[in-house]
Amino acid sequence: MTTLRIMRYALLSGAYDYGSIYTWRSWLGGWFLRVLAQVSFFALIGRLLGAEQQTWFLLVGNAVMLAAMEGVWALNMVSWERSAGTLPLLAASPTSPVLVLASRGVYLIADGSISALGALFVLGPLFGLPLPWPRVLLVIPLTILVGASAYCLGTFLGGIVLGYRGVNSLVANVGLVAVMTLCGINVPLAAYPGPIAWISQCLPVTHGLIAVRDVLSGNLAAAGVQALIEAAVAVCWLGICLLTFRWFVYRGRRSGSLEYAT
Amino acid sequence: MRGFRAGFRLQLSFFRNYPDMLIPLLTAPLFTIIFSMVLRHGGRSDLSGYAVIAPFYMSLWWFAIFNGGWVIQTERWEGTIDYLVAAPTGFASVIVGRISTMMFAGAFAFVEVWLFGRYVLHATVTIHHPYVFGASLLLTLFAMTTTSLFMANLFVLSRSAVTFSNSASYPIYLLGGILVPIALLPGWLQPVTNIVFLSWSARLLRGSLGATPIANAGFDLAMVFVLGLAALILASALLTRILRRAQQTGELALR
Repeated sequence: MTTLRIMRYALLSGAYDYGSIYTWRSWLGGWFLRVLAQVSFFALIGRLLGAEQQTWFLLVGNAVMLAAMEGVWALNMVSWERSAGTLPLLAASPTSPVLVLASRGVYLIADGSISALGALFVLGPLFGLPLPWPRVLLVIPLTILVGASAYCLGTFLGGIVLGYRGVNSLVANVGLVAVMTLCGINVPLAAYPGPIAWISQCLPVTHGLIAVRDVLSGNLAAAGVQALIEAAVAVCWLGICLLTFRWFVYRGRRSGSLEYAT
Repeated sequence: MRGFRAGFRLQLSFFRNYPDMLIPLLTAPLFTIIFSMVLRHGGRSDLSGYAVIAPFYMSLWWFAIFNGGWVIQTERWEGTIDYLVAAPTGFASVIVGRISTMMFAGAFAFVEVWLFGRYVLHATVTIHHPYVFGASLLLTLFAMTTTSLFMANLFVLSRSAVTFSNSASYPIYLLGGILVPIALLPGWLQPVTNIVFLSWSARLLRGSLGATPIANAGFDLAMVFVLGLAALILASALLTRILRRAQQTGELALR
């Protein structure tokens, strides 16, 4: 019960933080506009190439990538706690810091999924992407799965940056573009060299995105298998995160790197 | 010039101590890989130059907004702006010096992605029109510096600066036609691109990588300069307003 209470308060705290950054108006006129522009930016490469299938491939990949993008931002939770001066208190508390840090950013999965689905359902028809009803509804849980999977990776990366306060944004940005490069967002996995394709299999997004593409093309059985693999990848990253976080905090205590810093 | 040099040196020192500020130099090659892969997969290796140009603009914009745009506001938060404004050296010259350092880093991003594209990805990125290329690069750096200066002043006055800086990137990339030419945008959107200096600049830089003559290069160069100058005039007006308001309210460092 205590664990659930801590998770609830952490989640509410994160949601209130986010509410202080965006209003509905600024979210729609600022953030969502960027989301639409980001997906259009990549989808238009397909138009440049004069290939409709490639346009759709890029549109779907980059829309789903938005859920992953916000999921990876979970690693920012560490720097936000640090700049608020609450990181040492978390480390000193009897509760595991990973519980608070992993719960506090759950709103990112919701926001990322809404952004991704919003982009897909707004831009899809504009670019002529077929969204067959009702099976397109399966894209919703799959997008949330991708967001959650990336969130597990983001929380793990948050543990790594605990001890290196100067590299938070660096890890977040390079990590994101690396996911964008490696996970079949812009070209099929078959286009990657062998070892790179192998790394892609172990990263979040890859299988979830294939599942989304399978749903849209009507291959539901294959989509189910890919969704299960994506869930397994998410569980693995969560496991790695839980196993390593305690050590990261211990290392931070020893080196004194959990101090307040803006 | 002393203020400019001091600002330049100060920013170099920031770069040394905060590697986070140099993120675009790490992400630019990755974006080059992404764009190259898409173009090659689509059977258009001949457009490899696009894959080099776009990450350069993305890096430059990142430096201009996320570093340059916040340069005055962070001085306010740190409480150092009082000393800067009170110093005998012009406040603006220090700020311009700092932003110019960022633009040098942005220019370095071009060298980096060009070398990466040419020698790692074996992309065809030959500069066929070196004079147009050089002139457009210099004018682009000028216009991006003044745009960054304008943003730096605007962010002091705006309550939505964080939202704007987080949201402006891709809309500007799209309107600037940094990867996909403006002609592929919807017709109703195309006139808007005329006020984005990147749209003129990107056409020039892409054109200078092609073997065919560049049409209206002089006009395009003039447009980059005019839009950069407009940003400078707006930035000066905003800075005057900020400093006058600070004199009236006595509030400079505090928000």
